[in-house]
Amino acid sequence: MSLLRVSQLRAGYGPVNVLDGIELHVDDGEFVVMLGANGAGKTTTMRAISGLIPRYGVIEFEGHDIHKASADSIVRSGVAQVPQGRGTFPELSVEDNMLAGAYVRHGADGVHDDMHKWFEVFPRLAERRHQRAGSLSGGEQQMLAIARALMSRPKLLLCDEPSLGLAPLITQELFAVLERLNRDERLSVLLVEQNANLALHIANRVYLLETGRIVATGSAEELGADDAIRKAYLGF
Amino acid sequence: MELFFQRLIDGLAQGSVYSLIALGLVIIYRGTGHLNFAQGEMALFCAYCVYQFGEWGIHVWIALPMGMAVGFMLGALAEVTLVRPISNKSPFAVFIVTLGLFTFLNWLDGAIWGNQNLPNSGVGSKQQSYPSLFPNARDDFWQPFGVTIRYDRAGILLLVLVITALLFLLFNKTKFGLAMRAVASNTESAKLAGIRTNTVLMVSWGLAAAIGAVGGVVIAGLNSNVNLGLMFTVFIYGSAAATLGGFDSPGGAVLGGLIIGVVENMSSGYAQKWIGQDMKLAVAFVVILAVLLIKPSGLFGTAKVERV
Amino acid sequence: MKSLFTIREGGVASWVIRLVTAAAVFLVVLWVPTRTGAGTILTVIEALVLMSAAMSLNLLLGYTGLISIGHSAFLGMGAYTTGILVSRYGWSPWLTFPVAFVLSFILGVIVSFPSSRIKGVYLALVTLALALVFPQLATWKKLSWLTGGGAGLPAQDAQVAETGFNIGAQARGQMQFFEIFDWGPFGDLRKPDNKAAFFYWIAVVVVVVVYLVCRGLVKSRVGRSMVAIRDNETAAAVMGINLVATKAFVFGISAGLCALPGCVTAIKTGGVSPEGIQSLTVRGAITFLIVMVIGGAGSLWGPIIGGGIYVFVTDKTGSWASDDSIPGVLRPFFGWAKISPSDGIFAVLLILLMFVAPRGLAGVWKQYSPMVVRVLRRPAGAVGVAPVALAVTPNINHPEGEMQ
Repeated sequence: MSLLRVSQLRAGYGPVNVLDGIELHVDDGEFVVMLGANGAGKTTTMRAISGLIPRYGVIEFEGHDIHKASADSIVRSGVAQVPQGRGTFPELSVEDNMLAGAYVRHGADGVHDDMHKWFEVFPRLAERRHQRAGSLSGGEQQMLAIARALMSRPKLLLCDEPSLGLAPLITQELFAVLERLNRDERLSVLLVEQNANLALHIANRVYLLETGRIVATGSAEELGADDAIRKAYLGF
Repeated sequence: MELFFQRLIDGLAQGSVYSLIALGLVIIYRGTGHLNFAQGEMALFCAYCVYQFGEWGIHVWIALPMGMAVGFMLGALAEVTLVRPISNKSPFAVFIVTLGLFTFLNWLDGAIWGNQNLPNSGVGSKQQSYPSLFPNARDDFWQPFGVTIRYDRAGILLLVLVITALLFLLFNKTKFGLAMRAVASNTESAKLAGIRTNTVLMVSWGLAAAIGAVGGVVIAGLNSNVNLGLMFTVFIYGSAAATLGGFDSPGGAVLGGLIIGVVENMSSGYAQKWIGQDMKLAVAFVVILAVLLIKPSGLFGTAKVERV
Repeated sequence: MKSLFTIREGGVASWVIRLVTAAAVFLVVLWVPTRTGAGTILTVIEALVLMSAAMSLNLLLGYTGLISIGHSAFLGMGAYTTGILVSRYGWSPWLTFPVAFVLSFILGVIVSFPSSRIKGVYLALVTLALALVFPQLATWKKLSWLTGGGAGLPAQDAQVAETGFNIGAQARGQMQFFEIFDWGPFGDLRKPDNKAAFFYWIAVVVVVVVYLVCRGLVKSRVGRSMVAIRDNETAAAVMGINLVATKAFVFGISAGLCALPGCVTAIKTGGVSPEGIQSLTVRGAITFLIVMVIGGAGSLWGPIIGGGIYVFVTDKTGSWASDDSIPGVLRPFFGWAKISPSDGIFAVLLILLMFVAPRGLAGVWKQYSPMVVRVLRRPAGAVGVAPVALAVTPNINHPEGEMQ
């Protein structure tokens, strides 16, 4: 049984349907990447899975149907998202951002330990722990967004274009962290990107999204071997 | 000199009422980005309820929390049934709905309790005058250094400071307060953090109305009666206070209220020939205009005024 | 979409409909002063005043998207201008109309300047404050040499009844009735007790004037700028619309037009004071808004319907609280209320409308009338050719923008 199974997913904004029957799954411990150009529907897919927009079709997490579930209950089930554009709480301090991320956890035990753990992984956040999140740099905010999502101890992490607007060096750092978490802590990851040159090295499987449908899927090597795909999506 | 302190204290007491209304406005604005036009009328309804509780023999310090509970339910109900379904339409629609609520509540007060000042022996009121939270008989004052400080003025100021302190604790030291701040900061991310944003919004409105209820009761007490027009100008003053302090700053709201109360009292006292009682409202008007032109985000607000 | 009837624009059917509607309106307008009593006429005048005020507000709010809960101040400007000029300086009342317009226009332009920097609800607050300040200003002791202070204008005049209308303790500025020539069907205006009819005609003229001005403005280039500003200010600015100038202009016109019904009210009431004329207090401003929203924001004739409905309901329910005139079937709903239910009814209606019909009755009409009648536009340049059934959106009225 897959950790996450999506089938026949349709979703959109108002009368416009952006997603036209998405089929994908993520197995336990996998690192799955979804590639797609601007407007293909990557963010819509992410928002649909997290319950932020009305959606139709099958979305199952750990075998339970969540396609009608509320956003907060989906988080409680163990799905956390790092939204596009960071999505930090700009007026709150770094520390408060992290605590907010732990909202779904009952009891205070472990929360502060987790916070320290993430501060070790992202030392720059530790330095700025009392600073307003809005005053952090783009890269720092992205780290904060990831740390915040991880504070809820999710089983599945959804990442929406984490590299957007970031320098390549920072992006490398972030992906290294994600890879480590996936490998060492069996954190399952579904990551969407426009140009995932870096992400492909870590990915177990790749989906290609084009105007609301999955048009190809396979391992990173398989897709890399296809010239057309490589040129269109990987840029080389 | 004594007169100066007199006016200062009176201004602070009056201003505390504005602070309470402003606090309610700010809590709602921060959470939802909407201005609750019905804030004053919700407070008025609760003030009328407290009068009614008094008629039934309930002591005002028990009636007050009861009135606050009524306010809480009223605010929560309004949010769930009226504001939330409309909020995905235009801001104009939300504005009209709160305006409609304003009109409806005012009408309801008149329909239930009638058009006259209450208490009123003519209609058989048992109470002589509107219950005051603090002793306010002629000789209830205290005179340190020759300055007359009436108990009720001091009591009101103290009450507002206590409420402000409690709110501060709520926002900054509790998990729910963190949730409220998170929702105010970025509602979608709050959902992604697993916060039940709908509950937070509902409680925000309830809380704002409950705080407003205190304001209504206090001002009715200062006024010795409750009547249909009581809260029109108080609402404007409260809005002026929220504008001055910054619509997303609770601390600013409190400070703004106090400042406006003092300025209003001082200007009408010292410039009696020019302003006196008649033109006090003009002071608030000028303040709102000045703030909006010079620094629209107010003294302590953040520049993000437009909510997306 | 299937419709019951289809007519051609410019064809015989459409002209017949227009003529019939015009004739009907004309007959109603005539019937009121000639066949009904003074009491009804006065009530209708109230409605006409509301219609004019609501139409003026509509220019600002319905078409340009600028919220104002302060139009009572502009109406008050008109009322006081007429009152002061007539009673203190002996002007002829007719001349006070244009003066009131100009003064109110200026006030409107002044109020518009902050609006360029203030968004939405803040503007509502500012205008609300204006509405609250105006009566205070009018009764300010410092200005009582001008405005008559709390007592208003005039103090008392026992001679009012005999000589037709006048405003002023000194009975200056009277206009004798026999200066108006007598038109049979319009009722005998010579007799003093047909004063009501006389005021009625003034009010009708004002409504027509306001309507024509609004219509002219909306259909002009300025009108399109207004709608552009309402729908997306930033885009409008990028398109080259001068936001400040347009807003100032519209605010001014809206304010100026709103002064005219104020003049009418002053003339009709014979005296000007905040207690005497409720329309110049906040309650008035809120009433204009209610009328506008119910009738239909962003529609030219919506406020007219709204005004009629408002006054009708208020009139019919006005005494329900104080006597037993409430119909039995409604007693459980309203019988317990200590005051007239009309405010409550309209408040609920306002809220309901936002849910089901945000563009008011006019909006409902526009949405559903195409199901009954569809107007085929004449294809451009193909005069006389059989109408190709262009699938044109059936807009019988001018394409007014969406009030989202």
